Amino acid sequence: MMEQKMGLEIHCQVTGTKSKLFCKCRCDYRGKAPNANTCPTCLGLPGTLPLLNQKAVEFAGMTSIALGCKVPDEIAFYRKNYFYPDLPKNFQLTQYNAYDITSIGVEGGLEYGDGKSVRIRRVQLEEDPGRLVYDGGNMETSVYALIDYNRAGVPLVEIVTEPDFVDPKEIRLFLDKITSIVEHLGLCGTKLEGSVRCDANVSVGGGKRVEIKNVGSFADVEKAVRYEITRQKTMTSRDLEVRSETRHWDDARKVTKESRTKEEEQDYRYFPEPDIPTVVLGSEFVSSAQRSMPELPDARKVRFVKHGLSAHVAQVLINNKELADFFESAIKFYSSPKEIANWIVTDLMSFVDERQKEQERSMFAGLKVGPEHIADLAKLVDQDTINRATAKQILGLIVRPGEMPSQVAHKTHAGKIDDVSELAQTIDSVFETEHAAVQDATLNPNAINFLLGKVMQATKGRADPKAALEMIQKKLKEV
Amino acid sequence: MPLYTLGAGQVAAGVKSREFSAEEYIQQLLERIEKVEPKVNAFVTINKGAIEHARTIDKKIRDGEQAGPLAGVAVSIKDNICTKGIRTTCASRMLESFVPPYDATVVTRLQDAGAIVIGKANLDEFAMGSTTEFSRYGTTRNPWDISRVPGGSSGGSAASVAAQECAASLGSDAGGSVRCPASFCSVVGMKPTYGLISRYGLVSYANSLEQVGPIGRTVSDVVSVLNAIAGADENDHTTVGGKPVYTLQERKGLRVGLVREFIEDTDPAVAKMILRAMDTLEGQGCKCKETSLESVAYALASYYTIATAEASSNLARYDNVRYGFDMSPEGYEWNSYFAKARSSFGEEAKRRIITGSYVLSSGYYGKYYLKAQQARSLLKDELKALFKSCDVLIGPTMPILPFKIGEKIDDPLKMYLVDIDTVIANLAGMPAISVPAGFVDGLPVGLQLMADEFQEQTILDAAYLFEQAANVRGSPEL
Amino acid sequence: MMVTKEQVKHLGWLARIELSDAELERYTEQIEGIVKYLDKLDAMPLQQVKPIATRKKFADLRPDEPAEFEGDALGTKYRKDGFVKGPRMA
Ligand SMILES: [Zn+2]
Repeated sequence: MMEQKMGLEIHCQVTGTKSKLFCKCRCDYRGKAPNANTCPTCLGLPGTLPLLNQKAVEFAGMTSIALGCKVPDEIAFYRKNYFYPDLPKNFQLTQYNAYDITSIGVEGGLEYGDGKSVRIRRVQLEEDPGRLVYDGGNMETSVYALIDYNRAGVPLVEIVTEPDFVDPKEIRLFLDKITSIVEHLGLCGTKLEGSVRCDANVSVGGGKRVEIKNVGSFADVEKAVRYEITRQKTMTSRDLEVRSETRHWDDARKVTKESRTKEEEQDYRYFPEPDIPTVVLGSEFVSSAQRSMPELPDARKVRFVKHGLSAHVAQVLINNKELADFFESAIKFYSSPKEIANWIVTDLMSFVDERQKEQERSMFAGLKVGPEHIADLAKLVDQDTINRATAKQILGLIVRPGEMPSQVAHKTHAGKIDDVSELAQTIDSVFETEHAAVQDATLNPNAINFLLGKVMQATKGRADPKAALEMIQKKLKEV
Repeated sequence: MPLYTLGAGQVAAGVKSREFSAEEYIQQLLERIEKVEPKVNAFVTINKGAIEHARTIDKKIRDGEQAGPLAGVAVSIKDNICTKGIRTTCASRMLESFVPPYDATVVTRLQDAGAIVIGKANLDEFAMGSTTEFSRYGTTRNPWDISRVPGGSSGGSAASVAAQECAASLGSDAGGSVRCPASFCSVVGMKPTYGLISRYGLVSYANSLEQVGPIGRTVSDVVSVLNAIAGADENDHTTVGGKPVYTLQERKGLRVGLVREFIEDTDPAVAKMILRAMDTLEGQGCKCKETSLESVAYALASYYTIATAEASSNLARYDNVRYGFDMSPEGYEWNSYFAKARSSFGEEAKRRIITGSYVLSSGYYGKYYLKAQQARSLLKDELKALFKSCDVLIGPTMPILPFKIGEKIDDPLKMYLVDIDTVIANLAGMPAISVPAGFVDGLPVGLQLMADEFQEQTILDAAYLFEQAANVRGSPEL
Repeated sequence: MMVTKEQVKHLGWLARIELSDAELERYTEQIEGIVKYLDKLDAMPLQQVKPIATRKKFADLRPDEPAEFEGDALGTKYRKDGFVKGPRMA
């Protein structure tokens, strides 16, 4: 049995701050003209100095607390020295714990899935580099690269786990939880292109550790890890040596590839950044961060269960902040939490287009249905205006255009037949065509169900079964 | 008397009283520069906008507006301090055509006080050197003897002040780079407490050690410039405190300690001059005694470890992609482009980059950089203890007299050893000043005075006291 | 410490500085001399000394307020459509 161990390094862009980590340029660089979101500092011009963003430190502190980490009294920044064309200073400002604890969080732990847990090695704050583009999009034929520094200096919160994962499935569950936490904190809008990135490390059977870099979406991490486990197992079974190396995830071909262009860990020449003083957080920092922290997924789940939701349904909702928010808005329109939650979790979810969801990074990609629609639907069912089967059909009709269920029900006469004469007419015609069954029913009370079925069939389910049954029984006595 | 001989205070007073205009003054200076530059080579760039700037100051005064305490005063700025619109080369090919889009805080503050940037002063490439020989723009020569070095790395700054090409200058001092040339050129140069002056716009060489420092022909001029530039800056998180104001005052009864280790390995002629300086101070009512600073033994090792380590990383950004000199990136693979462009660094810069990379290498951080930073703590503690019984510590600024150009250039270690007395103040983050102490065979000797953190006033008091009593002769013949 | 040519060559690569054979020869010798001098640090009694550092309170950090830089901060003339042209990656 070749047991594998996996660990993750997750990079979340801090999209919740207004300005970059060390300068006043905006964090929101998306959609801006190339290099329009830069200044002397984030371009690494001579003479510029980093000015640490207080809010970014606060966000990183909250993340550390949410992941059960210890937050030290003092934090510091280190330079990680390596050359790369997207790196304006040719070093990255980050945190480092080899000589002293300088990162904002250490030694945490997080429970996820069903009773699983993973240890968090550290949480640290660092800067994003710029972005390289190739003219015509082709790396092989281009004689130059095009560089856009708009992203350079955007804060990243890096979360590093211990190698505690043994099953690739756990990774997906864990990443779902991390996503939900950083979304709840307001730290990271994970739906924004490139806002979350993940590196993974994999070792099989106690062998050498292989790093996989460049996994650009959480959805692919599980795939990358599975590929790497298979690769390492295959090599071992053929008596080939698995080397300790860094491999890159090839997003197009869905394989990991050898890569050896950058410096290795021993070449980074870390040393403390002299231009950023050691930051004294003080004893107040943690308590004040805790006070201003928004509700986290676990607490939200408890609150949802108090609303009467099952633990399972509540879990599904809080796994995705978008769903949980949808649910909370819906119950404001119509307070029937259990009904609404069930509609969302069991019915609405079946309309989610997985491919579009990944592409647009939204649960509701392509759907126009809103909380008010689901609330309306739940209300129609609760008040017996329509039956559940009809409600499901209506959901199918409104989920894309986003119409009000009550209006659709009205237009299509989907409402239950409450007009006694209309129902009586239908029963009359059933009695006329089903002589034999009517005869049976007068003798055998069980055969009455056959007649009821016919009535329901004739009304396409719109008849209220209880009312119909009563009328059939009454009519049988008259026969 | 020609206007170019005037000190900062006299210029501001003359311009404000309309005894002469700033324009006349600048015009005379530019003529002076034209005359002496062929001999001294103190400047990399002359500010073409200086006359225009002088006219706006004259207009302000005519219109009755406030023109500032340094109204019209011409200052040279070391060419590693950013000046918006005026190229800032660091005496390197790597920044041959770099024109900063912003002013350093110290430049903004000088200009707010009415000063005029007359030009950018020569230096050792990226401030790495003690002679100003490592410049892409030629060696600056000592105005007192043009066959000798002016000291460094702010050699252009000190020489331009000594040669009366400006009233004052801003240099930078990581291990003595203001005080060494001040000593060799017989002018006053100060390295303030770490954190007193903003480094925003100072091109980093050794961030944890360096400070911008004023240079003038008198203590009074240094005080004027210091008052304009000192004080916390929101653009530099390592600055501290508020906005101090320093004065010129006669102070009696200062407790002075002569550091034995500073004298021991010093040229006997220089040592003699320093002992005489101590007598002078005693004659002025100071209480003098001899004292000892054991940490001197490992100060230079600590200094060169930190300075090269920080420099190796600071200089990484010069890859010629965003700014630099003209070399098209097209067709190059990135590693080879970087390596080719960066081979344009000069000899000393390359040596320090590689040395710094060595001391930061895997496994060596704990052996060198970390230890060097610990050594600083020890040194600082020892000094703090000394400052309980002394107000100022004195010694020679330089252990030797200004030497011949080319004399030490081929032996880096020998060159590094001349910084032995100056690096102490940088390692401890404390203020120090060099004031002219006299001449040996026509060559200047500087007296160094050090005080505890943020005790600039004490240093200035002692320096002023000594300056008044010693009365060292003024300017070189050029 | 002994300093070898191989070390200096690797350091030259890490620093992305092209070194000629003559430079390699010269720097190896000079840096060995310098490093031997720096080894003086080994003689110091340093067990429990904290390294020197500057400090700043969390409350004094930069408030998160954005501002645009006025002017062109890029010096290079090698540009295209707002991008900076850099050397190729492959
Ligand atoms: Zn910026």
